[in-house]
Amino acid sequence: MRNYEIMFIVNPNTPEEEIDKINGQIEAVITSGGGTIDKIEKMGKRRLAYEVDKHREGYYVLFVIAANGDIIKECERRLRVMDAIIKYITVRTDEEGRRLEKIRNYRQKRAARRGSNPGAGPSQFSDEAMQ
Amino acid sequence: MKSVKEKRPAGQKQYYRRKKVCKFCVERIDVINYKDVKLLSQFVPERAKIMPRRISGVCSRHQRLLNDAIKKARNIALLPFATE
Repeated sequence: MRNYEIMFIVNPNTPEEEIDKINGQIEAVITSGGGTIDKIEKMGKRRLAYEVDKHREGYYVLFVIAANGDIIKECERRLRVMDAIIKYITVRTDEEGRRLEKIRNYRQKRAARRGSNPGAGPSQFSDEAMQ
Repeated sequence: MKSVKEKRPAGQKQYYRRKKVCKFCVERIDVINYKDVKLLSQFVPERAKIMPRRISGVCSRHQRLLNDAIKKARNIALLPFATE
């Protein structure tokens, strides 16, 4: 299982219920394949940075999920064939998360070391490393 | 060129170049997320090109992460590829 973020843009003219229906479909694909959903965030209407299929606006939806490759493949296929979807992107986040954890651990260790023998190094940085 | 740092003859305008520091290292920003448009747009000037390191002073590691994030953001129309 890996962590992913799927973000897609829905045609801004689609009614709210339709968007919920799309979300439900994607949700069903993920859960039926054995994946879990951490978060569904409707980010709302936003101006697009450039024109996509003559649209200047779009309704952004973000899924934060844990799934495997097959589920992602199926999700992307679904998103591709849906007419209301303008654009989508899938980003893998678990590697980034691991990297972050490593940094955090390292900082914590350093802060702990500084705390145990004061006066060993310059103390001016200690409080910002604490977080 | 090193000559900038050396003293110039009197009469010429003298200026010191401020040492540039990496924003991400200084502020301890660990994640450069593609969804954070406010942060990323600081590094894409008017023409929507990615700001080079020599101007922004970002360190190579963070520039790489920044590049990835900006390119992802472009893909999902959060940031422009070029201004029209």
